[in-house]
Amino acid sequence: MATDTMIESDLDISQLVDKPWVTIVWDDPVNLMSYVTFVFIKLFGFTQERAHELMMQVHNEGRAAVSTGSREEMERDVQRLHEHGLWATLQRDDKI
Amino acid sequence: MSAFARDEGIYSLDLTIDEAHILINLVEQLLELLGEGDFNHHYDDSDPFAQLMAQLKAAPDEVVVPEDPVLLRLLPNAYADPEAAADFRRYTEPTLRGKKKRTLAQVRQALEIIVDEDRAGVVEDLDSEVWLMAINDLRLALSIRLEINPDSFDHFESLPDEDPQKAIYAVYFWLGWLQESLLELLAQG
Repeated sequence: MATDTMIESDLDISQLVDKPWVTIVWDDPVNLMSYVTFVFIKLFGFTQERAHELMMQVHNEGRAAVSTGSREEMERDVQRLHEHGLWATLQRDDKI
Repeated sequence: MSAFARDEGIYSLDLTIDEAHILINLVEQLLELLGEGDFNHHYDDSDPFAQLMAQLKAAPDEVVVPEDPVLLRLLPNAYADPEAAADFRRYTEPTLRGKKKRTLAQVRQALEIIVDEDRAGVVEDLDSEVWLMAINDLRLALSIRLEINPDSFDHFESLPDEDPQKAIYAVYFWLGWLQESLLELLAQG
């Protein structure tokens, strides 16, 4: 097997360098603002200020990117957000 | 009105018997909707709340996108792309569903003591985050059945008192208030 060629063709360098996946939290009319802030702090270790800022972005703009990283990492984040009842999806960063 | 309390780091919730009944009914219905039926439910089938969570259709054996909008809200798609969403769901939904069931089951167990004694009581030494997540899931479930939107407060306020939707909205509103009382305690650290 031509290992060198395989690596060259299969490896998406940008995926390693740019961390091109992103977790989006979407606005909904149910989750309390204080709850969303609490979940952001709990799951991502944000400061109160940062968590509040992101929560307000979700509220005002309809969505906010809360984390970026590898696809596997973002799938884990989305799963944890779903456990807490937040409406979250992941996508490639270039679609933002 | 009852609220959460905290004393030296120990959380508790003082409930009237009516409140305990409403909570356990909703918890049991949501457990059943999530596919957990291994308990004797407390709600009466003639209860106005009894049909709230009733499934639209029997759950399929394989893991697919739920048809019931409540289940779809609690177990949402992780990707906009249907194929990627279906793949992700196949691997992760059983875990997510299991966690939600365990959370609700813990709350149910605590409430059962009060309800079975049929008198007001205090849920002692409760797990604050478990209750926070369970109440949130109950609110999400009710919000779908009530079709909550930013104008809902005015809409439900304008309904005649005998409209059953108004009573259900009152419970939804109460749960939000209850959740907020717990969040205030948690925010104090």
